[in-house]
Amino acid sequence: MYNDLDPLLHSQLRLAIMSILIGIEEADFVFIREKTGASAGNLSVQLDKLMEAGYLEIRKSFKGKFPRTTCKITPQGIDAFENYVRALQEYIKPGQL
Amino acid sequence: MQLIYKYKIMETQFSQKESLDLINQMISSAKNNLHKGMSNIFLLWGYLVAIISLLIFILLLTLPGDTRYFSYWLWIFMAAGAPIHWKLVSKIDQQQLVKTYIDKIMGFVWIAFSVSIIAVVAGMLLSTILVLPVFTDVDPSHEFLRWIQWTFITPFMLCLYGFALFVSGKAYQFKPLVIGGIVCWIATAFLIIAFHHPYLLMIQQIVLFICAVAGFVIPGHLLKQKENSHV
Repeated sequence: MYNDLDPLLHSQLRLAIMSILIGIEEADFVFIREKTGASAGNLSVQLDKLMEAGYLEIRKSFKGKFPRTTCKITPQGIDAFENYVRALQEYIKPGQL
Repeated sequence: MQLIYKYKIMETQFSQKESLDLINQMISSAKNNLHKGMSNIFLLWGYLVAIISLLIFILLLTLPGDTRYFSYWLWIFMAAGAPIHWKLVSKIDQQQLVKTYIDKIMGFVWIAFSVSIIAVVAGMLLSTILVLPVFTDVDPSHEFLRWIQWTFITPFMLCLYGFALFVSGKAYQFKPLVIGGIVCWIATAFLIIAFHHPYLLMIQQIVLFICAVAGFVIPGHLLKQKENSHV
């Protein structure tokens, strides 16, 4: 039934990550973890998957003495997200929800 | 309200409605808010401008003859704000976990504001030091004539203050900044209307003081209250 939906985005955590990043310039790993409630390990794995697909750009830097991971959506990621939402709209007809 | 989604089964298929709900909740969770620590920047510049303008007002009233115009040199202390400003900005950067498009654009608005002020002040300084004594027959010792052109700066600066405050207030939906911006615009019009008033210089300083309080100090304190109760 969900054949047209990008399997990479049709996962709760990955979709949550993309939904957060679609509306902002960039976000810290900690921010995404707080908003999604996911564990650091799981989030890290899903971020890597999205980065490998070219949907995200991940930058590692230092905040004082501590390492900092910043995530930013790429133009390719924006396209994928928009296609996903379009495909979703195709499935949803009035009265179906 | 903190939205927390618990992901127990990460790769399970979920319905279209759940997908849409998730997208909506996540998007609204990263809305534009003024960041913690921004109040300190407003307070820094607000108090600096308020104190200096008040001191100049007092000196203009009390110093005799043309010597009173030397009180304008007090503006040089504005430069002291720059290192503190950068320290506060880097502290915000360190604490800031998210950067929205509004943050990025507002950053540019305030950079544009600062560059505009610097361009005008630099032009005025060069004109006073280089052009005025060389190309006019004005006696450079006549301090009033050396300083009269500086009277154009205050309404110009207040107009820009109004612009930047109004845009910031609307972008971050923080009304005190919008009100501060409107006060600055009214002050600009008032100062241009009063341009030929014999006490213009004194009027300018007191208006500047009012604008610094209305546009920076009051919103700064209100923002601090908000930061302390929210974050």
